[in-house]
Amino acid sequence: MAVVGKAVKRKEDPRLITGEARYLEDINIPGMTHIAILRSPHAHANIVSINTEAAAAVPGVVGVYTGQDFMDVNPLPCPWPAGGVENNLNTPRALEVEKVTHVGAGVAVVVAEDRATAQDAVELIDVEWEVLPAVTDAEEATFEGAPQLHENAPNNVCMEWDCGDQEGADAALASSDVVVKQRLRNQRLIPTPMETRGCIAQHEPVNGEYTIWMTSQAPHVHRLLFTAFIFGVPENKVRVISPQIGGGFGAKIFMYPEYVLTTALSKKVGRPVKWVETRSENYIATTHGRDHVTDVEVGANRDGTITALKVKTFANLGGILSTVAPGIPTTLYGRMLSGAYQFPNIYCHVTGVYTNTGMVDAYRGAGRPEATYVVERAVDLVASELSMDPVEVRRKNFVPSDAFPFEPNNNLLNGLSYDSGDYDKALDMALEMTGYEDFRAEQAAARAEGRYLGIGFSTYIEICGIAPSAWMFGEGWGAALWESANVRMHITGDVVVTTGSQSHGQGHETSVAQLVADELGVSMDQVHVQHSDTLGTPFGYGTYGSRSTAVGGVAVWRSLQRIKEKARAIAAHEFEADIEDVEYVVNEEGVGSVQVKGAPDKSKVVGEFMGIATSAAGGWSLPGDMEPFLDETSYYDPPDCTYPFGTHICIVEVDAETGNVDIKRYIAVDDVGKVINPMIVDGQVHGGIAQGVAQALWEGAQYDENGQLVSGSLMDYAIPRADLLPSFELGRTETPTPNNPLGVKGAGETGTIAATPAVVNAVVDALSHLDVRHIDMPLTPSRVWETIKSHSNGGNS
Amino acid sequence: MKLDGTYLFREKREQVWSTLMDPEAISGAIPGVEEFVPVEDEQHAWRAIAKVSMAAVSGRFTGQVRMSEIQAPVSYRLTVSGEGQGSIISGNVVMRLVERDDGGTVLHWDAEANISGKLARIGQRLIKAAANMMSKRFFGNLARQIREAA
Repeated sequence: MAVVGKAVKRKEDPRLITGEARYLEDINIPGMTHIAILRSPHAHANIVSINTEAAAAVPGVVGVYTGQDFMDVNPLPCPWPAGGVENNLNTPRALEVEKVTHVGAGVAVVVAEDRATAQDAVELIDVEWEVLPAVTDAEEATFEGAPQLHENAPNNVCMEWDCGDQEGADAALASSDVVVKQRLRNQRLIPTPMETRGCIAQHEPVNGEYTIWMTSQAPHVHRLLFTAFIFGVPENKVRVISPQIGGGFGAKIFMYPEYVLTTALSKKVGRPVKWVETRSENYIATTHGRDHVTDVEVGANRDGTITALKVKTFANLGGILSTVAPGIPTTLYGRMLSGAYQFPNIYCHVTGVYTNTGMVDAYRGAGRPEATYVVERAVDLVASELSMDPVEVRRKNFVPSDAFPFEPNNNLLNGLSYDSGDYDKALDMALEMTGYEDFRAEQAAARAEGRYLGIGFSTYIEICGIAPSAWMFGEGWGAALWESANVRMHITGDVVVTTGSQSHGQGHETSVAQLVADELGVSMDQVHVQHSDTLGTPFGYGTYGSRSTAVGGVAVWRSLQRIKEKARAIAAHEFEADIEDVEYVVNEEGVGSVQVKGAPDKSKVVGEFMGIATSAAGGWSLPGDMEPFLDETSYYDPPDCTYPFGTHICIVEVDAETGNVDIKRYIAVDDVGKVINPMIVDGQVHGGIAQGVAQALWEGAQYDENGQLVSGSLMDYAIPRADLLPSFELGRTETPTPNNPLGVKGAGETGTIAATPAVVNAVVDALSHLDVRHIDMPLTPSRVWETIKSHSNGGNS
Repeated sequence: MKLDGTYLFREKREQVWSTLMDPEAISGAIPGVEEFVPVEDEQHAWRAIAKVSMAAVSGRFTGQVRMSEIQAPVSYRLTVSGEGQGSIISGNVVMRLVERDDGGTVLHWDAEANISGKLARIGQRLIKAAANMMSKRFFGNLARQIREAA
């Protein structure tokens, strides 16, 4: 019985539910020391001197170190500078030496017998600072007279990047019937995974080997960065293990100073070293996301046809660059600005800017939510300007279903093209689920009573399965993006799959097992998926960009095809038949066997002891020079990305008295290609919508004028709560991608990409009768209330 | 961040002033003070250690207190800088005494405070309330000492 497409319960859940899973904090090694890091309380300051004497004298302190002690360790690399332009790169060191450019930068460390001693001793380190003026806004940082953060980045500009056709866009805007201009702020978010970051490092002086347990979404990439870029040791000297991970949302992809510091210290003190981030540290030392200021100009003809989209964005990169910071607001943002539409003229210019704020890098969706927000708000602005139904404007500009593969205009995607889609179909289904016509009547009736109902649409697309290595190389990415998998069948017929991708909540152990079970004809229980340890798994680039199934899953599938091929060859030899006459079949019960066509007695089950796996592993009778064992490794580099799409519809009621936004209904129709486990996809969509809605309504990192993070704890940073969200109504269309044999596209980010503009569009729609065109996020009650007041007659403005 | 307030004393201005100029009285009035010793070779400057509890930040702060712009018996400026618990506090307060017709004295205070580090991240929301509470305790303690001295 086939399991692909079924809501199979997750194999990893029993250990998570019973508390058996081992997270980084659960790991302890005999002789282990603990560290506490002294972090800058200033957003911008020179380090004049550091006195560590008092801290070093505390009983239980093993050692106290400053940046000077790690000058032999390279600065962290930034392997994704923006493509095709000059990048003024500045990256962190294990500890900063001369100057800090954001609150939270590490400048000294205490190693102690226990964590409490380390934390107490760190308070005794005396740093003399020369405090410098700070700037936190990306646009203001480029103004004349703004504080300068880095000598190599005049006016704090890291890079200027563009894509599309500037002249074409300008000309089209000049000749359009209407042009709408709007400034949009996509505020800074703090990822806030349930588990903070951490690292344990152990160095063995005898052979010079390091074992590093760390909260990593990409253990192989971390090992590569440790070895080739930072420490200059061979890859076989470092083993990275990512234990059970409590969420990442992108923030655990990157190399961080603390990982380098912990690892370097394990050698320095000759004992294992453990670092576990506190929540307050997480807020200032782990990457943030988004933080764009964008001016958008959109042109249209009277009939609703959009003629041009011109976008100018200041992207805040923080005080210093995280691992792939410049790639997020460029490739993953600008190249997506055609959305689900065939805009004829697009131009995007991005200025990446240093400011005295925390590092900014990929956060769930990474660039694509920012792009979708611009596109979906722009479409609504056009609809509002033309007094047209936003649904009609969307349909008018959609890429039609017969136009695929579709290459966005102005070479926006730099050679790639949308794989497949039926945007009208997803929209139709969502409208049907919503009862759109009835809603508009209800809205009119409610307005007559002074109640503000609104509906918002987001007919999004996204780029998933981020890959083609050659294409990414052209985008400035300094590595590749293929994935790998090894599949081997043990003598007993059990299957072990090792993958270079990593699971931190995505359910790889289940969805990959489903794939293997169906393809090989073995039971789910017989399939063991191993990941997250560089010893014993083939190299992979890790889990982000909704790529584990669309890239990593295909590598598994290719290994499975080779296994099946070899099984047939062995059976042909055993049954003395021609290989062409031997077929690999999986029956209705899901049992796989190799058999000679038309000879039922000449058949061998695959997944059992003394089956074909045993023949292969035994090796006593194999054809020609065939090697024993069913054991195949594949590396897969796709020809293009995948392009999921869908329609999200949000219905809100805005309280005219308080400005509070209540989400009445949330309807999401997503097309993520072929679905392996609908329950896992639903879970991904749910979590994504929650985060997307939260950006629209509640979340937002706040800095004061001195660069102090005011929203520095969960008391002041509003992450979503279950009781603030409605029960989501989910639908699905399934348009397989032709770009891979599984037809899968990727489902990890749809919610965050689609939800944010749907909610904002809904609130603006609810207030449209007051002539409200736009409100910047987050749409907190006070902000909405002020907007209502300033637009109502009573507000007198 | 700017903060201000007033405090009403029943006593005459000269009495209030002499207490305000008495390091021991000031030291006794600072909530949580553990140490208050003069800085060598410097007038009107003290090294202080105080235990402060604000929002989720609680512990010892070490710093300096300096008195300047003294205009007896009307006003002076107190400059405070302190460090501890991963936080830095700096600021100054100008205190001005105005005589009242009923023989009492009104103390007006205008303060400017800068807060960095952990306290800024997790305490900023509560700082105004906490500062008001602490100033109330400070002047309350002063008033008690003035009464006791009288």
